[in-house]
Amino acid sequence: MGPAGALFSHYRRHPLQLVSLALIIMLATALWASVWTLTDQARDSLERSEAALAARFEIARQDGATVTVRDFARLRRAGTCVTPWLIVEPGDGGARRIGVDPLTLNCLDGHPASEGSGTLDGDPFLDLSGAARLPGDHRLHLLAPERADVPDGYRVQPFAGAPATGELGDSFLLNLNALSALTLLIAALLIRSVYSLSLSQRRASLELLHRQGLTRRRLAMLMASEMVVISLLAALPGLVIGHGLASVASDGFGQAMASLFDASLTSGRSLSGSLLSLGVILLVVLWCVADHWLPARRSAIRRHPVAIGSLVMIAGGTGVLAADALWELFLAIALGFVGVGLLTPPILAAWCHRRRATAPGWLAHWRRRELSALLRDLALPVVALQFALATVIAVQALVATFESTFQAWLDQRLQGDVYIERPSGMPHADMAAWLDGSSLVAHWHRVRRDQARLEGVGPAVDRLVLDPASPLLQSWQFLRSERHPWAALGQGGVMVNEQLARRQNLALGDTVTVRWGEAFRSGPLVAVYADYGRPAGEVLLPSSAAPQDWRPSFVRYAVRLTETVPIAELSDSFPRAGEARFTDNNTIHQLATGVFDQTFFLTRAISVLTLALSALSLLLMGTVVFRTRARYLSLLRVWGLSRQALRRQVRRLGLTLTGLVAAASLLPGIALTWVLVSRINPLAFGWSLPMAVYPLFWLELGLICLVIGWGIGTWMGRQTTLEDVGGLS
Amino acid sequence: MSRWLIVVVALAVVTACGSSGSEGGFAALDASDRSSFRQPSPGDGIRLPADLGAHPAYRIEWWYLTANLEVADGTPLGLQWTQFRRGLSPLRSGAMRAAPDTWPLDSVWMAHAAVSFNGQHRFRERFARGGIGQADARAAPLAVWLDDWSLMARDDAAGWRLTIDNADWSARLTLTPQRAPVRHGDRGFSAKSTDGTGSMYFSYVDLAISGQVRIDGESHAVHGTGWFDREWSSQFLRSDQRGWDWMGLQLDNGARLMAFRLREEGGAFRSGTWIGPDDERRALKGDAIALEVLESRDSARGEVPVTWRVRVPSEDVDLTVTAPAGSYWNTGLYPYWESPVTVSGSHRGRGYLELTGYGSSD
Repeated sequence: MGPAGALFSHYRRHPLQLVSLALIIMLATALWASVWTLTDQARDSLERSEAALAARFEIARQDGATVTVRDFARLRRAGTCVTPWLIVEPGDGGARRIGVDPLTLNCLDGHPASEGSGTLDGDPFLDLSGAARLPGDHRLHLLAPERADVPDGYRVQPFAGAPATGELGDSFLLNLNALSALTLLIAALLIRSVYSLSLSQRRASLELLHRQGLTRRRLAMLMASEMVVISLLAALPGLVIGHGLASVASDGFGQAMASLFDASLTSGRSLSGSLLSLGVILLVVLWCVADHWLPARRSAIRRHPVAIGSLVMIAGGTGVLAADALWELFLAIALGFVGVGLLTPPILAAWCHRRRATAPGWLAHWRRRELSALLRDLALPVVALQFALATVIAVQALVATFESTFQAWLDQRLQGDVYIERPSGMPHADMAAWLDGSSLVAHWHRVRRDQARLEGVGPAVDRLVLDPASPLLQSWQFLRSERHPWAALGQGGVMVNEQLARRQNLALGDTVTVRWGEAFRSGPLVAVYADYGRPAGEVLLPSSAAPQDWRPSFVRYAVRLTETVPIAELSDSFPRAGEARFTDNNTIHQLATGVFDQTFFLTRAISVLTLALSALSLLLMGTVVFRTRARYLSLLRVWGLSRQALRRQVRRLGLTLTGLVAAASLLPGIALTWVLVSRINPLAFGWSLPMAVYPLFWLELGLICLVIGWGIGTWMGRQTTLEDVGGLS
Repeated sequence: MSRWLIVVVALAVVTACGSSGSEGGFAALDASDRSSFRQPSPGDGIRLPADLGAHPAYRIEWWYLTANLEVADGTPLGLQWTQFRRGLSPLRSGAMRAAPDTWPLDSVWMAHAAVSFNGQHRFRERFARGGIGQADARAAPLAVWLDDWSLMARDDAAGWRLTIDNADWSARLTLTPQRAPVRHGDRGFSAKSTDGTGSMYFSYVDLAISGQVRIDGESHAVHGTGWFDREWSSQFLRSDQRGWDWMGLQLDNGARLMAFRLREEGGAFRSGTWIGPDDERRALKGDAIALEVLESRDSARGEVPVTWRVRVPSEDVDLTVTAPAGSYWNTGLYPYWESPVTVSGSHRGRGYLELTGYGSSD
């Protein structure tokens, strides 16, 4: 048998270690690869989407009215190279679609005389005629080259067709990548712990090989090669599983991307992405190996883990408070995690050690000393489980908070029982007369929407125009507001959503100036309202502020019924039944909730899988470490403990260990929750969430940890008993 | 005049870019909706001025102007303006048009403009969807437009006004018909094959033209004569027809000759119209007209027949038709050759030559 064979024979004697190592590497690769594949595709889609709209200009009417097909024909006949761009927001949670005119698309390139059509093909683009038939909010833009000559009554302005979602979309993806990086970090800790364990068990055989002439350098090379081979063999199926996970998740993720950031997900797997995943896993593995062959570097941390851990954690905490950019924030969080990881095992071990003095009886004394020893031996998997638990606590809090906030927000926003889009060409007066005359209608108000610009340079914002006196609006909750916000709005005030307030740094009382055609109308900011589920800025104005000739791109009527009647009863009573679109409150609720579920599907999946990975690792590691301590456990039998009593003690040990880890994960979990809702979320999505904690969920997690501890304890209790019997006979 | 294949291009544009995708191409659509469009027949007759307007019940039609002009120093200047309509779904008379704000895709319009001057040939092409006002054609007063290119009746109703604007060249021309329109074939039904398919076809064969043509910033006063075709149908070339050769000639003695041949497997379908100086019209079929290639030119897109012998034995006409030096490819979505020509032989004169189905991509 050569040196390589002799080395590998360790795993023949300890197949569980090999299996656990391979399993951890495989699962970590799968997680990393799946998230990376999805975010890579999404980022590529975002970039293409932005490139398609970058540096575009559009033609607007001087009078501020919305452009129509007549304006398009008028401009074309005047010799202006202009192409229509019809944005359709389906309003059903589906992705935004864009109607284009292939026959005039060459104007996008600024070459009016060039032949042929443009290259915008496939989702989200479709021919105008198809887009015009889609239900939803339709917004027409007339795109033109920057230096387009326009006839009187028109002007060229930067294209306002899409909110500036690029940075937000990127942040969203960065968030996911950070989460997958955390998974990788946890995996790295686990790999290292398994490797450390095998190294300690192999110390004697390695020494033997060294005495037989193998240099330490050669040994290190062989060990590294062994790890690379194991990693490759485990990572390859991990890659396959990762791509499988990505393709399963891509539908929901793609829809989330589309609804949040107007970016469709391009399908297909990239070789570079796979190689990257493989490379990252190999780096992690080699870092584990190299770290063990560079003893001088780790000694400082080993000697002063609490001091160094405290310093690193303080640095991380300061960074979290001070960071302006998302990457700075992630760096600070990583530092914080490292600090926590350094502090937790020695502090817990020291605490147990100190508490042994007050232990009631010698068994408790023994248990606490043993626990202290276990915490030191199992430091890495303990920290990995702690990180995983903290992540799960934070992600669950984020998702649950958003879910409840979103539902409450939807409830206050959707005060109407039915929403009606009137038929094309039907005057408002006719619609109002019908609504006023219908015995089924208790209250109604008109919702009008288009895009507008605030004074100064900046992307276009959505403009929402409502009647502030409507009873359907009075239950709105505001993040900040004057005492009587709706009255203040009616007196010329302006409301904005949180996204716009954050972006423009607006405070109550600030003057907000909105452009209506050539005119500007200003008003004080009287309220800031939450607006979840989208990144666009929005300004809310009273109906009285809208010019008479204003033609919004979207009009809908919110209707509260006098009694609960089927929607068909109302729609059948409409004079132009079949031409108007009636949508009930429940349908909108369901669609909005569907978008929410898609958005957080991946986040939940990653955190749960990470927890499963950590739990599995701790289970494997725990059983291995307990075996190394079997001799000490067997002494209890010598001291006269019965087999059943010994098993109970070992089970208690396991339960206490994982229970302590669960308890130790609470603080970092709560801290991470705060960072997510108050620091990361505004940067990644544009809105913040209230901080909330969910103790019941902590209990559930604690129970899971106790089950793991019980599993370890029970198994080891049996193993120890057998060894105990064998050792004594 | 038969610009069959050019019109097909419009469909190709739409099927390639539309939401329905390009599978099946225009040939498949041909087969599926041929019956839904109205088919021309000899009994239809030509009704003026109504037939100057659009025929949405038919699949294809065009307004086609060619002009042999001169600048002040006598240098020849050729000009072509054409507007095509390609119906994607037929609109029967009396039926409601789709509202413009639905961006209907019932028809596609295509316009071509070319100017040939001092050995240079400049070609421009534009597209538009029908039914939204960007392009259309109305009979009385005449108004045919796509974007800012247009052929409109003059305010004095004595003729028309052609406007073409491009970045590098433009034209402002006044056109005055000198003769009554000529109905080709059988009362305007022009056969395109022996199996009876054909189109409705009439021409203004003698237009007096004057105006301004601006090229690269230099304005030229021009005058000369022109030829204006109106044609509509619902049928394309038969699958065995590979292209056509068409010419419209204005002879110095006042006679006019329209001649074309559709090249088929093992031969060609020939047809034409002779208009004598006294306006006497005679339809020419089969052996009544002979078209023979005398010389071809190796152009950028391949061999092109540029010198022709044209004979009408019944009228003692034996002409040599020659394109000037240069390349006259209209390199649009579907390239074809469109050049001014000079006429020598038994008569002198000038005109235009159109060739399709030649070249590398055909």
